[in-house]
Amino acid sequence: MKNAMGIIYTGENDSRLRELTMLRAIAALPVAARFRVIDFQVSSMVNAGIKNIGVIMQKNYHSLMDHLGSGKEWDLHGKNEGLHILPPFLTRENVGVYTGLLDAIRSNTNYLERSKQETLVLSGSDIIYNARMEEILRFHQDTGAAVTLMYTKDPSMRRNELGTYLNLDEAGNIVDMEIQPTNPSYENSYMKVMIIKRELLLNLVDKAVAHGLHDLDRDLLMKMVQEGQYKLNAYEYKGECWRIDSVQSYFKFNMDILDPEKRKGIFRDELPVYTKVRDEMPALYGDNANVVNSLIADGCQIEGTVENSVLFRGVRVAPDAHIKNCIIMQDGQVHFGAYIENCILDKQSVIKRNAKLIGPDAYPIVIGKNVVI
Amino acid sequence: MLRKKTCVAMLLAGGQGSRLGILTKKVAKPAVPYGGKYRIIDFPLSNCTNSGIDTVGVLTQYQPLELNSYIGSGAPWDLDISNGGVFILPPYQTVKGSEWYRGTANAIYQNMSFIEEYNPDYVLILSGDHIYKMDYNAMLNDHIRNDADATIAVRPVPWEEASRFGIMNTDDENRIIEFEEKPKKPKSNKASMGVYIFTWEKLRKYLMDDEADKKSSNDFGKNIIPNMLGDQQRLFAYNFEGYWKDVGTIESLWEANMDLLSDPAPINLHDKSWRIYAKNAGFPPHYIAKGASVVDSLITEGSEIYGTVHHSIIFAGVTVEEGANVQDSVIMPGSVIKRGAVVRRTIVAENAAIGAGAIVGEETGNIAVIGQGVTLPAGTSVAAGVQVDQDTTF
Repeated sequence: MKNAMGIIYTGENDSRLRELTMLRAIAALPVAARFRVIDFQVSSMVNAGIKNIGVIMQKNYHSLMDHLGSGKEWDLHGKNEGLHILPPFLTRENVGVYTGLLDAIRSNTNYLERSKQETLVLSGSDIIYNARMEEILRFHQDTGAAVTLMYTKDPSMRRNELGTYLNLDEAGNIVDMEIQPTNPSYENSYMKVMIIKRELLLNLVDKAVAHGLHDLDRDLLMKMVQEGQYKLNAYEYKGECWRIDSVQSYFKFNMDILDPEKRKGIFRDELPVYTKVRDEMPALYGDNANVVNSLIADGCQIEGTVENSVLFRGVRVAPDAHIKNCIIMQDGQVHFGAYIENCILDKQSVIKRNAKLIGPDAYPIVIGKNVVI
Repeated sequence: MLRKKTCVAMLLAGGQGSRLGILTKKVAKPAVPYGGKYRIIDFPLSNCTNSGIDTVGVLTQYQPLELNSYIGSGAPWDLDISNGGVFILPPYQTVKGSEWYRGTANAIYQNMSFIEEYNPDYVLILSGDHIYKMDYNAMLNDHIRNDADATIAVRPVPWEEASRFGIMNTDDENRIIEFEEKPKKPKSNKASMGVYIFTWEKLRKYLMDDEADKKSSNDFGKNIIPNMLGDQQRLFAYNFEGYWKDVGTIESLWEANMDLLSDPAPINLHDKSWRIYAKNAGFPPHYIAKGASVVDSLITEGSEIYGTVHHSIIFAGVTVEEGANVQDSVIMPGSVIKRGAVVRRTIVAENAAIGAGAIVGEETGNIAVIGQGVTLPAGTSVAAGVQVDQDTTF
């Protein structure tokens, strides 16, 4: 799709992810033993042939920038196109702290005006999906809609007081929207992926911001639906997806993909997910290793017991250590005789000899980065 | 005009590696997979990057397709730079006609114009046949300090085996006074590793003279080195003590893989200061299922293990089904070991399928080999040391 570009907005509300997003955006959260959340959105775009992608950064964007680098791993380091990192405080027009997606787009008007592509794919960064994006773009073209929104009927995506829900007529036109309803009355969850003509978006955003509006869903999309001047269509995504908006939902995603069917649903053979490569050697299993139902990344050294867990790159599990229902991020260490259950260990944390740490089933304990217990 | 380089590396990757049997039927030896996620050529290429050598010519000839696509732009080794980088150099045609590379020296001779583009002071000659981590920059410094015309990396071999190697006899200052190819009565145990640094001006002259000599077999070991010694040029040995493994045979390739499972491993691939880079296929992490048993093994991305894996190396995208048993084996990328199959002391090449209940290899004896893309029917038995390729009938 030479004629489409992508924008990924990474400024979502992350308060319910607590320590996990203290130092990073949701987009930069490590998931699935070797990826970051944003890998899924970027890869979906890249797999559709999109070569110009802008990533709007808001806060704590250091680790996100570090991860994306020059965009080389996604083949996004071309001469004219490629990956554009759009941090706040960039220009005179840029207001810095965005009060909403509308502000963010308005602040990056320059970049959008400079881009040549006719169509724009705008994606959030807190929903994990792996979509065949060229299909959505074709659908958008065929229906002739001004705006196409991607949605899912997956009930696990519904939240009380959170998210946007769509009511559709038989032709798939959007006839009503609910934003952050106490109890959503429509089954169609909007996945924060929207297709629109680049120039139309620029026009609309300009007008909206001039009227003091900030919220893209409420102040722009909802209004369009109500006023009926434009045709808004919806495309159903039928694959696996997850909303990463709390410690529990983060934990659930990682545990869900231990299931081979769910894993195949998100890591699809024909739609690879790219990420930054760390060049670790394959995982090494010792004489007494005992690993079941777990995802293990390269660079791990396992001597102990691991069950129902996700181990990121370079994790070390000593003999007689026991890990159950845990997520252990990059370079974590669990020493001899330690037992941990229902825990999320952020990067480089260490569980010392014979330590014991058991979180409640529904509420995993989060151990911060570099913490030694 | 390209910026001048101090040292350009030339990697001889044209060898067939015929002693690797069916493993090199479709790929050149340097492209043979090793160690769960690498190919042999990753070692010299990563050594170059880690040694600060950023211009590498890779001379190919035999089955170059897979090697070419593997090396690509050179990005995995940070060799995708604008002034330098990695270049595939196949034999080419000129007004005088075209010819294959006749020998190691001739291969470099035919690519002299590539080297001259960078106007280097020194040229490093490498081969793509060995597993080792080596700082070529330390060797280059030695070469410069000795004001040498050529420096040859040597490693100590057991005295009783010395007569199988090219042996360098040196004086107190490590200057080479004599070179003996497979001597009956070795005077030293310093074996050549096939890693040479030449002062380019000197090498250039010797390559031209060698080319003019119609009787020459155009080989570094047989012609260039003896000629230089004969002319009293300054040749020095560079002692290398680390792990070095020739993976030229099925048995040695298997052994080199198994070396990674000994504790401690003789070659440390966890070393962050000397990473071995490889092209990454972008798979998800590997999955060990409920009921699986994995002990004393190396496993990499994209694999799914439902059965038993003991003392084995599992490459990317391999599936070991429920009830399958893999022992003392090397399973290369994309292969499937079906339900109930038993695989022992075997190398399974890329994208092969071992049928349900098949029995491949034996607990002792020679290493069995299943070739690239072979589908072994369910229930088949393959004895120790047998090689099965796509033409084998059952």
